Amino acid sequence: MNAVKARKILIVEDSRLIHKMYEVMLRPLILVSAFDGREGLDRLSENHDVDLIILDMNMPKMTGLEFLAQVKATPALAKIPVIIVSTEGKEDDVARGLQSGAAAYLKKPFLREDLLQLVNHIEAKQSAA
Amino acid sequence: MSDESNISDPRQLADAPAQRESLARGPRDAEATLRRAQQLVRDAQAAIEEASRVVGQGHAAGPAGAAEARLVAAERERQELASRLAEVEHQVGRLMTLYVATYQLHATLDPVEVQSTIAEIALNLIGAEHFVLLLIDDEDKGYEVRLVHGAPDTPWAQHQRYTGGDPLVDAALTDGGLRFGPTEESPALAVVPLRVQDVTVGALVILKLLDHKPAFVKEDHDLLDLLGAHAASAVFASRVYSKTARKLRTLESLIRLVNKG
Repeated sequence: MNAVKARKILIVEDSRLIHKMYEVMLRPLILVSAFDGREGLDRLSENHDVDLIILDMNMPKMTGLEFLAQVKATPALAKIPVIIVSTEGKEDDVARGLQSGAAAYLKKPFLREDLLQLVNHIEAKQSAA
Repeated sequence: MSDESNISDPRQLADAPAQRESLARGPRDAEATLRRAQQLVRDAQAAIEEASRVVGQGHAAGPAGAAEARLVAAERERQELASRLAEVEHQVGRLMTLYVATYQLHATLDPVEVQSTIAEIALNLIGAEHFVLLLIDDEDKGYEVRLVHGAPDTPWAQHQRYTGGDPLVDAALTDGGLRFGPTEESPALAVVPLRVQDVTVGALVILKLLDHKPAFVKEDHDLLDLLGAHAASAVFASRVYSKTARKLRTLESLIRLVNKG
């Protein structure tokens, strides 16, 4: 479960607490941090080797769904898998996230093992493709 | 060599009658001997086959049986280890959550940021959708409603000050004990008193959990305990620092004025 293989992960999340949580839980992976969708797009333009994006939904300036739409509309970025991690846990929210192109949806509060399992699963799917 | 050449020998000729008798009896004896030998061979073959079967069975049953037993034991041990590993992984995750919550509470000396961290812990780590943060007013020792998250429909949450009325909140503020509800008199799911050096400086009142979180789990109790202890000291430290910094700025301004004058 610990063998997370993804190399660089972009975290788009407005909570400093959750950024710290990812830093501790996903050690020793390289994390790139952004605190809203717009900053997330900036980080993507600076880092061309991002393997995975972990995305919050409710953020200032640009929401998670707006960010996701931009990513999926950009051919160079469209293939990067996105995991939405959000407190919005209604069926509609999950469906909307997945229909927008997210590879997975994790509801907060989440367990570390669930996060690692998802990251590993997506990494395995990418390797197999 | 033919029989004639043998008979040509005089000594053989002398023994010829005995020989003939013997020869006449010979085929009968030979047949009997042959039958006897064949029987013995069949008996021996059957015995060998039986022995092989028994020996074969013995060899097969012994080591294979032992190996199978070891395999079962190894599989059982593997399952036990996998279960223990999962438990350890879970504990590690739990400790990481507590560590991050503590770290973040004490990462700032700004009272507003401390309050914001308390709210983030309540929302993101506990899964509280509606909650209220009460903090003691240093001037009159009453409780201010410092933060309201979500849209709680409790009347007292709509005011700037909490003047009492919710029995669960009142009890927690009075004796500093963690309370779980709801009760007939209170809609609060949990009231976490924030205590520092045996003084209750506030409370986090959780009024509703996120829809996908039906109830508190074991890990939440650890977080609520942690909030009770660390949030209070973080709030207290940040308030003291903020007051001291304000006084320092006032003094510095005065000194500048005096120096100018």
